[in-house]
Amino acid sequence: MSTSAALHHEDLHSAHDAHHEHHHHETFISKYVFSQDHKMISKQFLITGIIWAIIGGLFSVLFRLQLGYPEATFPWLEDLLGHWAKGGKLNPEFYYALVTMHGTILVFFVLTAGLSGTFANFLIPLQIGARDMASPMLNMLSYWFFFLASIIMFSSLFVQTGPASGGWTIYPPLSALGDASSGSKIGMDLWLVSMAMFIVSSLLGGLNYISTILNLRTKGMSMTRMPLTVWALFFTAILGVLSFPVLLSGAILLLFDRNLGTSFFLSDIVIGGKILPNEGGSAILFQHLFWFLGHPEVYIILLPAMGMSSEILSVNSRKPIFGYMAMVGSMFAIAILAFLVWAHHMFVTGLNPFLGAFFVLLTLLIAVPSAIKVFNWLTTLWRGNIRFTPAMLFAIGFVSMFISGGLTGIFLGNSALDIHLHDTYFVIAHFHIVMGVASFFGMFAGVYHWFPKMYGRFLNNTMAYIHFWISIVGAYLIFWPMHYEGLAGMPRRYYDFSMWESFKQFGGLNEFISFVSMIVFAAQLLFVFNFFYSIFKGRKVTSTNPWGANTLEWTTPIRPGHGNWPGEIPEVHRGAYDYGKDGREFISQIEPVGENESHH
Amino acid sequence: MSAQASSPEITFHPNHSGGTKKIWRTFWLLSVLTIIELAIGLVIYNMHKGEHPNATLVLAFKGLVCILTLAKAYYIVSIFMHLGDEIRNLIMTIVVPLCLFIWFIIAFLWDGNSWLNLRNRYQGVPAKTEQVAPAATEKGAKD
Amino acid sequence: MSTAAVQKETKWWSGGRSPFNASYGKVMMWYFLMSDAFTFGAFLISYGTIRFSQNFWADPNHVFNSFPFAGHANLPLAFVSLMTFILIASSVTMVLAVHEGHNMNKKGVEKYMIMTIIGGIAFLSCQAWEWTHLLTGEHVALLSDGTLSVLPTTVKANPWGAELSHEAIAAALQATPHEQLASIASTLHHGGEAHHSVAAMSNAELIKFIQESDLKASNTGPIAFGGYFFGITGFHGFHVFSGVVINIVMYLKTKMGHFDQRGHYEMIEKAGLYWHFVDLVWVFVFLCFYLI
Repeated sequence: MSTSAALHHEDLHSAHDAHHEHHHHETFISKYVFSQDHKMISKQFLITGIIWAIIGGLFSVLFRLQLGYPEATFPWLEDLLGHWAKGGKLNPEFYYALVTMHGTILVFFVLTAGLSGTFANFLIPLQIGARDMASPMLNMLSYWFFFLASIIMFSSLFVQTGPASGGWTIYPPLSALGDASSGSKIGMDLWLVSMAMFIVSSLLGGLNYISTILNLRTKGMSMTRMPLTVWALFFTAILGVLSFPVLLSGAILLLFDRNLGTSFFLSDIVIGGKILPNEGGSAILFQHLFWFLGHPEVYIILLPAMGMSSEILSVNSRKPIFGYMAMVGSMFAIAILAFLVWAHHMFVTGLNPFLGAFFVLLTLLIAVPSAIKVFNWLTTLWRGNIRFTPAMLFAIGFVSMFISGGLTGIFLGNSALDIHLHDTYFVIAHFHIVMGVASFFGMFAGVYHWFPKMYGRFLNNTMAYIHFWISIVGAYLIFWPMHYEGLAGMPRRYYDFSMWESFKQFGGLNEFISFVSMIVFAAQLLFVFNFFYSIFKGRKVTSTNPWGANTLEWTTPIRPGHGNWPGEIPEVHRGAYDYGKDGREFISQIEPVGENESHH
Repeated sequence: MSAQASSPEITFHPNHSGGTKKIWRTFWLLSVLTIIELAIGLVIYNMHKGEHPNATLVLAFKGLVCILTLAKAYYIVSIFMHLGDEIRNLIMTIVVPLCLFIWFIIAFLWDGNSWLNLRNRYQGVPAKTEQVAPAATEKGAKD
Repeated sequence: MSTAAVQKETKWWSGGRSPFNASYGKVMMWYFLMSDAFTFGAFLISYGTIRFSQNFWADPNHVFNSFPFAGHANLPLAFVSLMTFILIASSVTMVLAVHEGHNMNKKGVEKYMIMTIIGGIAFLSCQAWEWTHLLTGEHVALLSDGTLSVLPTTVKANPWGAELSHEAIAAALQATPHEQLASIASTLHHGGEAHHSVAAMSNAELIKFIQESDLKASNTGPIAFGGYFFGITGFHGFHVFSGVVINIVMYLKTKMGHFDQRGHYEMIEKAGLYWHFVDLVWVFVFLCFYLI
């Protein structure tokens, strides 16, 4: 039996092994640019994501400048942005473009591609015991389609009429009619084409992740022995593969409406007293299509962060994750529910209230698996032997953010309350905390935890701690006050609030938020500096398993080559969370179960 | 186990030695189903020619066509795509996610119908649709 | 050991093997098709939603009632039945090619691949004819200005609204200017009478001529109809086209003996999955646009 198993592995991975032996023949291009090694592709995703995050973050600082200081002028803005900031004050059109691009970039390019692209690529083969992705070729294409999408989106920033400015949700008719605003012209077309490329990239990636996890697990790595990161990435990939095509449909139809005169989303529109010939379509249909992706997208962003935080919390509490199967089950429940609740973003579109009631019910159901997860994280920490590494701090920060942001989700999921809160700063606060900041924290936790595996060096701890404390305090200082503004009715996406008597009272608060946002942005730049500095100058990793973790990636050499394991892929004998068992601090997954070992 | 050399991910090779009889049988079955569908389509056409087609009967026929289509889809996927010959695990992972379509279809069509009712109620029923209008308004008044 | 016994005894999920007893390529193909099913599903469901939101929708039996070389004969659904039949037949030849592949019969695979490719091209040609027929079609509709005019079915015009009564047509004809009357008259075939003379006829003569030939006219319908029809059948046609290209590549690879060298014809199987999926989608397009 064991001979056949060995033969089996040899067969399965002989192609990769051959590659592994000859990898010193690799040229610069095949190693760093068109690489088919999942680890290199993951770094490509990460670094592209970091660049996008800087751009997207910078945009938010620019429009916060307008919100915080609506009366002030900044001459340097004109030097930077030219005619978009005449006299040092942001043009309203450009303000909308900034808001739109901030959302698009951070939701899709950073927290989808940058997060699951990075960690699915890096962790799946390493943690399930595979030489590489199922199809390294498609994996490489996945990155390069993402790169293409990035180039197109980036170029849209420089067209004469500006980038798309209809909000990241690009609702028609604003996005369907070229004359609606300057951002609805060529910038919008580029947005749609870029998004189509992005969807292709995410599809290629997702198919690879799914079939790798299903087909290429090493011997003994049953589904219920997989680390929670892999489970999370698995569900993420399924969500992406089934929901992104719906956005693709919407984007294609919107492109037709824009360029071929079709009436998919247009009907009964009057511009300047003239009725457009379009008839029969519905703008709300686009919202349905968009949110059919849009809601799963929230979990595409959140699930990887959940998985990584679960793993990091368990490793650094030196305790098994509490309720492993409950964690898997709740992620599964979240993934299913994610597909059923999209119209809770549309309660005020005139949605049939009876239909809306179903969406309310399904939405509130999400609170159940979410609460299970939160309690399991807390019980994992309970009486643990906690090590406050930077990764651990960010993982705890993730749990904190998930709780505070998740609770306001229960408010917003009620259609009656949503009528008051819809499109106010309450919504901004909710989704930035639960989806934006929480996922960022999960991502930071992942980077701090797996950086030693990626580059063979540690990130600088002092800078990491500064980064963490400014980020968590700053994030709460920025988004907590927004709840009050939202409850008072302050609408999102307004260019200047000083014109309304009822919102003038928030002038000081807005200024404070803008001020904090700049400090937080600076702290992120510190992280970026730390990241690139540590790649070259960081403290070297000296042991293969610096965190004392059980999972398979720590059984590879410190800097694994293409193929990951120099010899045979180890066989797995136990689950990923045997911490503190029988008085031992940790027991790696590859260690056979002893005869006298206790069962718990 | 088999003379075919292929990926070791595969534990055993399914038995493909069966003849082509099943394939041809499916072909004739699909053709017959299509012909029945067409016949129903023509029946609906002739019903519409009459002054006042029985709406319930038309709906019943349309429902029947939908069921026949699902039957065709079943045969294509099961026989032509060989999903019926795969092991249960694969069948389930293909079929179960498709259940998402149920709510996808219900919610979308429901909202579409609700737009119709809203428009007819608040904008008035356009004159050119006299035949359909009374039924639609009635429905709108009910909910 | 019998297959059933292996299937029962194997611990499918324990790692080191595929839990589906299928190569990753085939698993990927299946999931890609699922993903694509959601793309098509979204299109068709959007179409259904819009249709549910309209008081009136075009009756497929009126729109799709022509056949090549059959002139103005009223043959509802005949042509699309032919298209459906072609696609089912090409699906059968494809599954036979896969079957020959299992038996490692290179000649058989080649024969059936050729037949499948021909089927695909025939389907595309049919679709091209149907599109041309609709885009250049000659149906008379009542415009919003109260006149009658010849309208094609495009993404910007839909002449398939509710049918007009004889009185309504008569009233509208009175309001219709000369050129429009002439163009309406020239589309009619009237007991072998020469059409070229219509331009010379007076308005009253034209109206008499038109009414004698029992003109059928309707209101304009929701413009979204054309967009959805051309959009969805076009997207399906694009899939057929890419399927044909894939099949040609597979045929060439078979011909060059790539699969014999590899020892299995799994690529043919995967191409087959794609091709059957295209057929599957057509079954639903056929349902949504032509039958109900």
